[in-house]
Amino acid sequence: MRLARYFLLLLWAGSAVAQSADEGSALFESRIRPLFAAHCYACHGSAMQMAGLNLSTAAGFFRGRDTGPIVVKGDPEHSALIRAVSYTGTIKMPPGGKLSPQQIADLTAWVKMGAPWPQAETAPAQAPRPQFWSFQPVKDYPPPQVRDRTWVQSPIDAFILAKLEEKGIRPSPRADKLTLLRRATFDLTGLPPTQREIADFLADDSPQAFARVVDRLLASPRYGERWGRHWLDVARYADSTGADEDHRYPYAWRYRDYVIDAFNRDLPYDQFIQEQIAGDLLPARADEVNVEGITATGFLALGPKLIAEQDKVKMLYDIVDEQIDVVGRGLMGLTLACARCHDHKFDPITTKDYYSLASIFASTKQLAKVEGVVSELYFVPLVPKDEAARYQAHLDRINAKKEAIEEIVEQEGRRNADRLRPHLAEYMTAARKIYAGGAKTEEMARAQGLDERVLGKWVEYLKPNMEVRPHLANWYKATPATLAQVAQQYQADFDARIRDWEGRMDKWRREAAEARASGKKAPEKPKFVAGDDRFFAEVRFGKGPFAPPEKDEERQKVFPAEANARIAVLQQEMDALKKSGPPEPPMACAVTEGEPVEQHVFVRGNWAVKGDAVPKRFPVVLTGAGQPPITHGSGRLELARWLASPEHPLTARVMVNRIWQWHFGEGLVRTPSNFGRLGEAPTHPELLDFLAKRFIESGWSIKAMHRLLMLSSAYQMSPEISAEQVKADAANLLLSHFNRRRLDIEEIRDTLLALDGSLDLTMHGSLQEGKGTDVEFSEARMSFNPDKSRRRTVYLPLRRSNLPSVLNLFDFGDATTTSEGRSRTNIAPQALFMMNSGFVTERTRGLAKMLLVEGGDDAARIRRAYLITLGRKPLAEGSDDEVREALEYIRGFEKKRPGPEARLDAWESFCRVLTASNDFVYVN
Amino acid sequence: MDGNRFLPLSRRDLLRNSAAGFGMVALAAMLAENSPLHAETAENPLAPKAPHFPARAKRVIFLFMHGGPSHIDTFDPKPRLVRDNGKPLPFKRPLTFAEGQTGGLMKSPWEFKPYGESGTPVSELLPHMAACVDDICVVRSMVGDSVAHGGALLQLHTGSNTFTRPSMGSWVVYGLGTENRNLPGFITIKPSLSHGGAKNWSSSFLPAAYQGTPIGHGGMKPEDLPEPIEYLKNKGLTPEQQRYELDMLQKMNRRSARRWQYDPELEGRIQAFELAFRMQTEAPEAFEIEKESEATRKLYGLDRPECRDFAWQCLLARRLIERGVRFVQCSHTYGPGNEVGWDAHNELVRLHSRTSRQVDQPVAGLLRDLKARGLLQDTLVIWGGEFGRTPISQGGDGRDHNPYGYTMWMAGGGVKGGITYGATDEFGYYAVEDRMHIHDMHATMLYLLGLDHTRLTYFYGGRNFRLTDVAGNVAHKIVA
Repeated sequence: MRLARYFLLLLWAGSAVAQSADEGSALFESRIRPLFAAHCYACHGSAMQMAGLNLSTAAGFFRGRDTGPIVVKGDPEHSALIRAVSYTGTIKMPPGGKLSPQQIADLTAWVKMGAPWPQAETAPAQAPRPQFWSFQPVKDYPPPQVRDRTWVQSPIDAFILAKLEEKGIRPSPRADKLTLLRRATFDLTGLPPTQREIADFLADDSPQAFARVVDRLLASPRYGERWGRHWLDVARYADSTGADEDHRYPYAWRYRDYVIDAFNRDLPYDQFIQEQIAGDLLPARADEVNVEGITATGFLALGPKLIAEQDKVKMLYDIVDEQIDVVGRGLMGLTLACARCHDHKFDPITTKDYYSLASIFASTKQLAKVEGVVSELYFVPLVPKDEAARYQAHLDRINAKKEAIEEIVEQEGRRNADRLRPHLAEYMTAARKIYAGGAKTEEMARAQGLDERVLGKWVEYLKPNMEVRPHLANWYKATPATLAQVAQQYQADFDARIRDWEGRMDKWRREAAEARASGKKAPEKPKFVAGDDRFFAEVRFGKGPFAPPEKDEERQKVFPAEANARIAVLQQEMDALKKSGPPEPPMACAVTEGEPVEQHVFVRGNWAVKGDAVPKRFPVVLTGAGQPPITHGSGRLELARWLASPEHPLTARVMVNRIWQWHFGEGLVRTPSNFGRLGEAPTHPELLDFLAKRFIESGWSIKAMHRLLMLSSAYQMSPEISAEQVKADAANLLLSHFNRRRLDIEEIRDTLLALDGSLDLTMHGSLQEGKGTDVEFSEARMSFNPDKSRRRTVYLPLRRSNLPSVLNLFDFGDATTTSEGRSRTNIAPQALFMMNSGFVTERTRGLAKMLLVEGGDDAARIRRAYLITLGRKPLAEGSDDEVREALEYIRGFEKKRPGPEARLDAWESFCRVLTASNDFVYVN
Repeated sequence: MDGNRFLPLSRRDLLRNSAAGFGMVALAAMLAENSPLHAETAENPLAPKAPHFPARAKRVIFLFMHGGPSHIDTFDPKPRLVRDNGKPLPFKRPLTFAEGQTGGLMKSPWEFKPYGESGTPVSELLPHMAACVDDICVVRSMVGDSVAHGGALLQLHTGSNTFTRPSMGSWVVYGLGTENRNLPGFITIKPSLSHGGAKNWSSSFLPAAYQGTPIGHGGMKPEDLPEPIEYLKNKGLTPEQQRYELDMLQKMNRRSARRWQYDPELEGRIQAFELAFRMQTEAPEAFEIEKESEATRKLYGLDRPECRDFAWQCLLARRLIERGVRFVQCSHTYGPGNEVGWDAHNELVRLHSRTSRQVDQPVAGLLRDLKARGLLQDTLVIWGGEFGRTPISQGGDGRDHNPYGYTMWMAGGGVKGGITYGATDEFGYYAVEDRMHIHDMHATMLYLLGLDHTRLTYFYGGRNFRLTDVAGNVAHKIVA
């Protein structure tokens, strides 16, 4: 009987299999297992078990997923598996496209048969996974032996040269002095060497000459501005939330300044990253308030935020996710955020690991107020609590005065409306005679005994325009015959509405007074919903004809003298308070401890579907399963200490790799934010570990690392390439020559400003005003215009949604996620900027003027121009005589463009040629 | 999965080189010929590329209606709302934007009538578009995931409502290149700076060559645009003087390229300057709307003050696609004298009447003009906002956001005209039939362009990305 049913079902399914238990197994082997293998194993197999589901073993299959079994034996209708493959529920599998009807029928039939799975099979023994390189402890490697010992200036040279010798590649020769000076100066300060610095270096023949340059540059405040900016890329720094509302972060600049200063004073990196994660929880150094520590948590606080997201839980966990990503990729080189919806597909990071970390950030206070259409950003005062409280109390006093004024305006406005109300029909009728009949407002007002000011407003209001206003439709339809009646109808409706409204307000006033008397919170003041009666709302409120006057001069005419006097007194008191009060205390965009949450795994990232509870702890692959969970506080302090520990296998490696990358153009690991399986393997693993060890031993000193790297033959090579090098190693993985690099936009802009002496080297502070969006129109949320400042580019505020276009143009990146390095594109619009922008024209004209007022002949001027712009002398070899060429060019230009300014124009053009040239834009 | 890894160059090298107009091929060619100056033949990232399969559409014009037009007041009539006007919604209200200010069901204040041979119903708000319905496929079953503008705009433009991802225009140009080297491949006219701003036309992790080029922004009037493309015009020099200057620059650059052999990037920059020079002489012509005939200008409504702005955008869009630009977006957005666009949280009648007046004739003019010039058959026109609006009232006389079921339409470019596709429930709240998620719309758009959305991928940050993430189904029923 049962068999017959299977048979029918299978016939219906078009399948010619299986009528017994054995045949069930045959169906499984012939159709089901291959189907699983082809369509499911990639995510639900032995290598990976998304949602905890493993379809490669019977045990895995019948255990099901995290939320429960996927089959009810014999009952396809109630089996999640069948719903998923039929695409009838919310989960549709496989996600890439529906299975064929035949395949679905096979699965349905097999489940109906009780999902027979051959008995003998057991799960294959799991071979222990070999530890991936980046999860292993940092090892201490001695520099290898090399043949050409003369090339080895620094231990790192031995690591580089050993590999080159192995492949038989010769390193490029040492760069000449001017190339080296320009390279080092841009590298450490983002600016070109001055003429004086060039002369000094050329004059210094001692073996320590270059070391002295490096020390000088590291001591310059310009160093922190350049290297702080590198960090700001990692920290995806910007001055607004971006995304939807793009509210300004009014105090973001304090974080930026803190970073610049931290680099300048060589704050040990382990201390630095502890402050990034939990500076507010570290003991203060001198003051009562840990100003730097709190400011440093801007690293977490300054990310992009969708503060108008209405699913507030999703909003919070998007913020948490963004923080996990910047900590993961930025500090550890791990794409942890991949494990939000499923276990990481390639690295041993589980959703449990993810939500363990999420728990830490979810227990951190991120926003001042979550509720409301637009959530409110959180600012932390950088002064003692009582000082902040005093400031708040002062604000409250000012606000009380403001409310008192509003109350008088409202009371008097009501008296005004009460006085005008009975004449509404008269006003409307008179207005019509004016806008439609051509009568004069002044005469009409006098004749009818109406207030001329009010009547004028009625005319403006009722005058037909392009807008469709349904609430005035009856008015416009009225004929002379019906006008009086229609006017009376408007009068009657208005009377009824105003009685109702004033009744509500009176009731609220009584209740509010009672509440105040008994020390309770007053009920919320009613607001008129305009859509309930558009006509009433437009007439009675805002700029309407019967609304209380908004401007003081109008109030003088409309309100009684006594009320105006009271307003004036209050206004004076408010002004005095504003002047006398303490200034706003310094604030930071920061995080603090929040309510600890009990965190669960969110199944497939959906917070509404909760999986297992997870403890607060760090990824198991890095710490082992035995780590004790964090039981009090958010866990940020513990996270910070763990990240900064010398035993952490990733922190030091990731940072020395970044430092290497920012010097050499490419990291030893060429995916600097991904040290996982899909990242690139290090080209020089021993060197990477050697550097990480030295970094830790030096007390995590970044400046010591600069010296170690720059005082090496590897750093001092020329970018010249031989055909042999290209053939053996086109990508320069082994570093046989220096990588030429294009200047970043900051370097381009700052250098252009420096050329004509207009660069303003003021440090710190903010060029951005305002908070939130204030009442700024949504289409006006522009970034600060760079042309409006001569400051270094690092100080330009960044409106995340609309970065200055020149930054976009030159690959600044988008400041929404941690950056693993600037990309470098080469597109025509960049050329247009160099050829045509007013900014470049101004700078090159300034430079031309400077050159022309200085003494010497034109040839000397040309040599100077070469030094200033390109950091080198003009070529004078054989046919390449650049001075002669330039002289000819300038003369030729003067002829093409005669006039009183011909000489200046020609020199400007020549300077523009220099600044547009490859020798300017590239550092060799 | 990650083929790039087995090449001798790193991915970043490749990306950089290809963005510079060079690839492995170029480098290899140079090595073979032992000359660094063989660049003209090199691969340009914007060079036209063959689609995956024969394309029905060659280009796209996206007419973006910022704020969210009400589908139940334009293309999706709901008699049930007339019957139940004022009654409470008979099921649990899903998440809205302005939680708490919502009221009962609200019928459309406008009448619907069938139009054309197809009889597609359109409300009296859009008489000009109504006259074009036989060329239009009205998709009544759009679905998105965000109830707020920010996420919804991002999803419509990039597929993701949370993260910064490449814009659909960037994906299209990445997939197909462009047919005019003197103009950008992806142009967005007067885009909105709010609700994500530049994120909505950014190339994100795709090379910058694929980013959208904005022409002004939503807060500007067309006549206030200083120059259509930034830095396009040199204000001081005659073309001859500038050519003289450029020749000197190129002489210097060629010398340094010769000295620093084997660096394709240096050669790439020489080419970039030549292209820039050509662009500035040839691109401005595309923006000379005044060259259009009186009849054409009238067709778009350029003579009517209330719709001049969008008429200018639509006409410019036609001129741009005619010249080979691959993807053009026009935006009706919040602007001067038009505070909230389609976003009628209150005063639905006044605001939708105004907004409809501003776009109706220009959009219809564009469709007619494209058709008359034989361009409509291979130009895909897409019209719509980031979501629709609720069948229940908000603030008394407005409607709230509704991403659960709303209307967009497509025309030309291989789409069946004169049909409606999909349906919402009888209230117009949820899409219930042939649901077209934004991912599906993107997949369908790419399909019409000859691109398989599962194959148009880019490797970044450890995995392959696509416009449609891990979703997207092509709506084959609407393909002609």
